[in-house]
Amino acid sequence: MYWEPEIEQLSTQRLQTLQLERLQKTIRCAAHSPFYRRQFADAGVAPDRLKHIEDIRSLPFTTKEDLRNHFPYGFLTVPKDGTVRLHCSSGTTGNPTVIFHDQHDLASWANLVARSLYCAGVRASDVFQNICGYGLFTGGLGFQYGAERLGALVIPAAAGNSRRQIKLMQDFGTTAVHAIPSYLFRLHSAFVELGLDPRRDTELRNFVIGAEPHSEGQRRRIEELFGVRAFNSYGLSEMNGPGVAFECTEQNGLHIWEDCFVVEVIHPDTLEPLPEGELGELVLTTLDRQAMPLLRYRTRDLTRILPGACACGRNHRRLDRISGRSDDMLILKGCNIFPMQIEKVLMRFAEVGSDYLIVLQSRDEGDEMQIQVEVQKEWFTGNMETLENLSRKISHEVRDEILITPVIRLVEPGSLPRNEGKAVRVQDLRAPQEAL
Amino acid sequence: MIAYQVSVFLENKPGRLEKITAVLKQQQINIRAMTLATSTAGWGILNLLVDRPEEARQTLTEAGHPAALREIVVVKMTDAPGTLHDMLLLLAKAGLNVQNAYGTVLGDRRTAILVIDVEDTESVQQLFNDAGVETLSTEQVYQI
Repeated sequence: MYWEPEIEQLSTQRLQTLQLERLQKTIRCAAHSPFYRRQFADAGVAPDRLKHIEDIRSLPFTTKEDLRNHFPYGFLTVPKDGTVRLHCSSGTTGNPTVIFHDQHDLASWANLVARSLYCAGVRASDVFQNICGYGLFTGGLGFQYGAERLGALVIPAAAGNSRRQIKLMQDFGTTAVHAIPSYLFRLHSAFVELGLDPRRDTELRNFVIGAEPHSEGQRRRIEELFGVRAFNSYGLSEMNGPGVAFECTEQNGLHIWEDCFVVEVIHPDTLEPLPEGELGELVLTTLDRQAMPLLRYRTRDLTRILPGACACGRNHRRLDRISGRSDDMLILKGCNIFPMQIEKVLMRFAEVGSDYLIVLQSRDEGDEMQIQVEVQKEWFTGNMETLENLSRKISHEVRDEILITPVIRLVEPGSLPRNEGKAVRVQDLRAPQEAL
Repeated sequence: MIAYQVSVFLENKPGRLEKITAVLKQQQINIRAMTLATSTAGWGILNLLVDRPEEARQTLTEAGHPAALREIVVVKMTDAPGTLHDMLLLLAKAGLNVQNAYGTVLGDRRTAILVIDVEDTESVQQLFNDAGVETLSTEQVYQI
């Protein structure tokens, strides 16, 4: 029933006592990093002054901006020699967000992922196919080590190549899968093309889906198409990656592991804490990370804490499905992208001006980013090759910035949509699966 | 002789060509020949041989269309089998790469023209002059 029965069923009161103890320890640890040493001095933070876990509100927030401004080592509490791995994501200012881990951190993370998978019904007897990018993306190694810790047989299938994915599933009798939801629709098309029905021709029973926003309708559709139960996974690289919050078999909210994270929901403008049940920005504090602890980190993800107890018996509270962002960040193929990054690249090209429209859509080959830019009259020479080279160059430079190759679409001046005079920057057309 | 075509950027969408011809009709600009080159990325360039190229460029630009004058070489040919081949052979032998080319028969029905869009119009001009082939200016095209 539980991976760690004692911790998962801790009473709220005992959980809070544990949290306070770990928070004080984390503050002492964080004080070794250049960033927090200064922040604590400026704000007068002393761990002994915290008497209750709610006193965490006296600590300043940490933002993505802080991580970038103190890139790369400003948050390290130990010399670089003491760390064993880093993961990073792309950044708007040229500096990525980088997180370092030591041996303890990786072991703790793997355990949280194991606990999460177990909570969603994955067992040591499962054959677990991890269909997502390995490398800097945390979903690859995060689920790899977590599922190994659980004892499952793990197939590090990585992303793409649907026919090979299907072959692996058939050759080794895959029963559980982790994948990005949008990919699963394409994978299903590949099954159909091969004349196969995953419900009949595989042993699939359990899916873990996450790393990009998706609706309840999409989940139900995936469950129908594959004949499985699909569970929502939440994580972010700043908080290790996957294994922060996970659905249990009740499929009613994601348990956030409160022995390892302090969860707060704040009003994104006033920054005031919001009561349970109210929608706001999720703020998280690590409680079991040594090399690079983060305190009151503003995730920018919008959600709420679901009130009430869960029938599964776990006392760790539940987050609602993420409903959006308090900033304009886009998530495509598991990569975090800010429109500002694209704008910055486009500014280098006088030939297309600064107006643009980002269109995200699902294609058979995968989710695609199209960037529409307007050809500037003054720069137009009538030469086709010049324009084709321009498109290619823009595409390459955007790729260098966001790690995803966009399709550049040149459009006529004045043809980009405007909403009451305000430029429309993003059209996300990926959601229509809701209607299927 | 130097001639000009008007090149117009347009998206590959229904009704876009018609918007451009509407502007030209309004201005009473005559089109002698045209060709449309499309990219695989949803846009194209319309090349027009018109009687008043600068005026066409200006009007189209004012109407919001990216338009440019491009220097081209217009070769005069007799409307007879094999003539086009001979012209192209000259270009091929000289190793000159053609961006775009299109032709039409003129009003007298005996003369044909070949419009050649190249980066280096001067070399092509020279090539035809040396071979004794006549090239035309925009005005001359409209006098035949």
